[in-house]
Amino acid sequence: MKKHIHSFIYALVCCTLAVNAFAQTAPQTDPDLNGMRAIGTPANPKVKWGWNYYMDYAGFNKLMQELAKAYPDLVKYESIGKSFQGREMYVITVTDFKSGKPENKPAFWIDGNIHANELQGTQFAMYTAWYLAESFGKMDFVTDMLKGRTFYILPSLNPDAHENFIYKSNTTSSSRSGMMPLDDDGDGLVDEDTYDDLDGDGNIVTMRRKSPTGRYKVDPDFPGRMILAKPDEQGEYEMLGFEGIDNDGDGRVNEDNPGAYDPNRDWGWGWQPDYIQGGALFYPGTLPETKNVKKFFYSHPNIAGAQSYHNFGGMFLRPPGAEEDAMYVPQSDIAVYDVIGKTGEKMIPGYKYYVLWKDLYTVYGGEIDWIGLGRGVFMFSNEINTSWRMFNKNSTENRNQNSEFEEFDKFLLLGDGYVKWKPIKHPQYGDIEIGGTKRNYIRNTPGFLLEEEGHRNMAFTMLHAYHMPKLEIIDIKTKALANGLTEVTAVVQNQRAIPTHSAHDLRFKIERPDYITLKNAQVLAGMIVENEDLGITREQKYNPQTIEVANIAGTVGGGGGGGGFGGFGGGGNSVKVRWIVKGKADKWTVEVDSRKGGIVSKTL
Amino acid sequence: MIRQLLYGGVLALACVAQTLEAQTTYNSHAQLSGRLKNLSTKFNALASVSSIGKSAGGRDLWLLTLGKGDATKKPAILIVAGLDGTHLAGSELAIQTAEKMLGAANADSVAKLLETKTFYFLPSMNPDAQEQFSAKLKYERTTNDSKTDDDRDGRVDEDPFEDLNGDGVVSWIRVEDAAGTYVASKEDPRILVKADPSKGESGKYLVYTEGIDNDKDGVYNEDGAGGVNPEKNFTFDYQIFTTGSGEHAASEPEVRALLDFLYRAPNIFAVLTFGPNNNLSEAPRFDAAKVARRILTGPLAKDAKAMEQVSKLYNGRTALKDAPTMPQTRGNFSQTAYYHAGRYSFTTPGWWTPKVEAPRDTTRRAAATAPTTPSPTAPAATGGPAGGGRMGGGGAAAATSTANASEDDARFLKWADKEKLTGVYVDWKTIQHPDFPGQKVEVGGIVPFSKLNPPVSYLTAVADKHVKFLTGLGAQMPEIQLVNVKTESLGNGLTRITATVINKGLMPTYAEIGDRVRFVQKVKTELKLGAGQAIVSGKRLNLRAALASDESEEYTWLVSGTGKLTIETGCPTAGVKSADVTLK
Repeated sequence: MKKHIHSFIYALVCCTLAVNAFAQTAPQTDPDLNGMRAIGTPANPKVKWGWNYYMDYAGFNKLMQELAKAYPDLVKYESIGKSFQGREMYVITVTDFKSGKPENKPAFWIDGNIHANELQGTQFAMYTAWYLAESFGKMDFVTDMLKGRTFYILPSLNPDAHENFIYKSNTTSSSRSGMMPLDDDGDGLVDEDTYDDLDGDGNIVTMRRKSPTGRYKVDPDFPGRMILAKPDEQGEYEMLGFEGIDNDGDGRVNEDNPGAYDPNRDWGWGWQPDYIQGGALFYPGTLPETKNVKKFFYSHPNIAGAQSYHNFGGMFLRPPGAEEDAMYVPQSDIAVYDVIGKTGEKMIPGYKYYVLWKDLYTVYGGEIDWIGLGRGVFMFSNEINTSWRMFNKNSTENRNQNSEFEEFDKFLLLGDGYVKWKPIKHPQYGDIEIGGTKRNYIRNTPGFLLEEEGHRNMAFTMLHAYHMPKLEIIDIKTKALANGLTEVTAVVQNQRAIPTHSAHDLRFKIERPDYITLKNAQVLAGMIVENEDLGITREQKYNPQTIEVANIAGTVGGGGGGGGFGGFGGGGNSVKVRWIVKGKADKWTVEVDSRKGGIVSKTL
Repeated sequence: MIRQLLYGGVLALACVAQTLEAQTTYNSHAQLSGRLKNLSTKFNALASVSSIGKSAGGRDLWLLTLGKGDATKKPAILIVAGLDGTHLAGSELAIQTAEKMLGAANADSVAKLLETKTFYFLPSMNPDAQEQFSAKLKYERTTNDSKTDDDRDGRVDEDPFEDLNGDGVVSWIRVEDAAGTYVASKEDPRILVKADPSKGESGKYLVYTEGIDNDKDGVYNEDGAGGVNPEKNFTFDYQIFTTGSGEHAASEPEVRALLDFLYRAPNIFAVLTFGPNNNLSEAPRFDAAKVARRILTGPLAKDAKAMEQVSKLYNGRTALKDAPTMPQTRGNFSQTAYYHAGRYSFTTPGWWTPKVEAPRDTTRRAAATAPTTPSPTAPAATGGPAGGGRMGGGGAAAATSTANASEDDARFLKWADKEKLTGVYVDWKTIQHPDFPGQKVEVGGIVPFSKLNPPVSYLTAVADKHVKFLTGLGAQMPEIQLVNVKTESLGNGLTRITATVINKGLMPTYAEIGDRVRFVQKVKTELKLGAGQAIVSGKRLNLRAALASDESEEYTWLVSGTGKLTIETGCPTAGVKSADVTLK
């Protein structure tokens, strides 16, 4: 086999050389690449990186440093503050710094890993930064994207627990919390009865003990799995929960683990206390990590789209997280979500476009609602990885009956997914056995699927970012009036699906209006042209040089336009404004300054 | 006991007379800071001052702690004031209450309380807004120094108040206009009320807060200096996108500082807020429908009972009458302290306009005691035309909060007349207004602050009454005891131990809602074993729900071994007791 590959490559190289010898005009492949670039992927990148493992904190920081060094005009990073344990939280800014200031372009936010055991988010966030930097100037789509848009990327929203998950002993689901110590069991002590890794392999698996009173037996098809004995059968084992000891002698095992709260219930929309919404702390923003992100959002009002990566289940989740907030996502905003979400279902087979509260569960105080409803930004949260991806179909049986993960482990992972049962001495339970799922299986995508799933998710954020407002001044007309006055009329169009203000934003005036200014001119009066043909205009008395339009609608949704009250100045996705100016046209410049649509200008 | 208390009160007055002597008006932040520091110096064995954080404007949020020994180890009451920035009387009351308690520290009842309990005072939790009282231009301000674009037009603080008649206070303007909707009240012509067509009235005036429409948006003074109103920024029933409520709950440093302090002080049993809300003269009632849902909107059954008990204590101890209804407001601290932090939470304005009997007209009586919530007939505030803000309502004039109902105004002016108060009303005076050329515009009306804040001299007696209430509440607080501790030797080094944990106080160990709140520590009974001892039966550590007054629970253990062991029981809000047992 190996020999075969060698000869294949040899043939390829010969072939290339031969072609070059004959015709110098033949398409050039990358000189360092011994082969052909696979379509869609940066081959021979400046920053070489593997995408089939999970980076630690040092790893993703190193990657961002190398990217910033290799592409100083495309990648910069800055700390937005420290985590609870004092780690710097770096946000990477990716944009073409040579074509406009990053803050003057519509921006897309990506974060991952707020639940620290959900590692793919970090990986895909970094893949996006790497892919964009490596593809700029080589792929037109990416080049245009970075000229006109800014990406703010936070690879881990929970870096302390990210390290805990990778370097300390955990289950597949532990280390979801942050690392702020809390008393979970009400005894006045903090984090005093954590999991205990009895065999020191980094995986907290399950404990079983042979017992005449046990109701469990070994699954005959998959000996790693324990199943309930049938009603007419005697059991062989009793199950003793996750690997651990009663460290504080209170009769309970593993009841006070590190942290034990939910950073994704710490956000400023619909916040509810712990007894209503498990995992909440004192108030939205109790944690430094969420506080840092909020601060960044308020100082970067150009953020017009956002993605927060989670796992597991294969979903594109959109707000709201609670039924009572459904009224805050009106029909015209849903229409925009639909454009992106429904296309997403094609882009990532096995993923479903869902409404958080309706199709998954209720979340109070989640990030998705704070960004979506608190800031009025179109927001998706992707739940990465789904069992569909193992065999490209969904099992018709529920998890307790089906054997998808066991079969996938057997045939595709070749047995790498589980810790095999082994005997061990337990200080309280005596002779027991431990075994079960490795902490990096089930929720986190296996290596050989990781790059593919990362690329598909990245592509989904590109679709989302593509649809952020793109403003263009498509027409400026001047007309001489009597008494030395000139009438200037400008049409500004939004060429994408997302409006400069969501309907929810418009209703609550979350972001300020868009400003359209006629510069270098002596303006006497200004107005919004609501209907040119019928001669309907609305004058703006205060500061007429800068016309304030409430919104520039996008190509779908038909939300309120610049005129407000359902009237637009010029058409569905454009506004028309007019000034009456003293004198004749001379280097007059129309500038549009929109928080979420960026700054564009055109000179007469 | 009451006599002693009164005696103590007199002593207190004598002690603080020096500081009070010069005080004819409400304190600025600097004055208040000095006053607290002096107090902690003078009574250094009983009082200490620290800062729990800073306001948006960088002013210290002072905490005055009263009591002997380690404050954090004793059950506590927290007194909070000044969250509503227009309520200076609350701050003054809180400080005077502390001063009087310290002054009476030698009286038995107070001495015992300071020995066994902690009293935390946070007298000025919104100092940025309160400072407006001492500023050159005086207006009722509720917001801190955060920079906000109140009307969301992209311009910050572009439409403030203007002092059009140069008297240093912001009152009202009325414009004679054909489109006017207000008329002078028949009851008291100084007050403007909305014209009532059913009474044959037709509007004569437009009414606005004193100022100019600087940004020509048709709304007056809707975007002045500041900020966020902390009293709208707490987590319970937080109202989104309302002027002054902030970008999200707990966005403000004052709010976070207070909640951090409260959540991290598990010994705080109850909270008393001095502010323009009242749940003390009449306790909220239990309503099963309000507790049936996931999100509670009414007190739990046992808590409603306890609130009733405290309400009785309040009315009895203070002998205050005719209290205004003043319902709880959305996103305020008082409700958050109960529903979210899980503590008993009481609130009262402390002082309110006394009712003046009108003997000739008995039908007025009902009106005078009627609820004084904002009335839609009021010439401003929440329902009026003056407000601006994001939703087109509220606005800076909302600073006057409940203070603008016409009935409220009438009651106040009647009382002010009787007391011959000056400086509470500005007579209407004609001015030139740039927004209304050629029209008759007058400035006048009730002077800001005056309705919620009487001359300081009126508060001394009120503070005495609240000292009585607080000492009464302190005396009713729960007290865990460990009783009937018994050992029975079963032979061969095996001993059965039984002990009863009982609450001998007059209130439950903590509010029932505390049993739902993770951060409220439950009643814990623990066996602390000596060397060589082992538990054969029973749990080493037992947690249980709140104990009502006189409620008890018996615990029993089988222990092997000899020597001393300790039983410890209690919770931070009701104290911790222990007993040593020797196994033979």
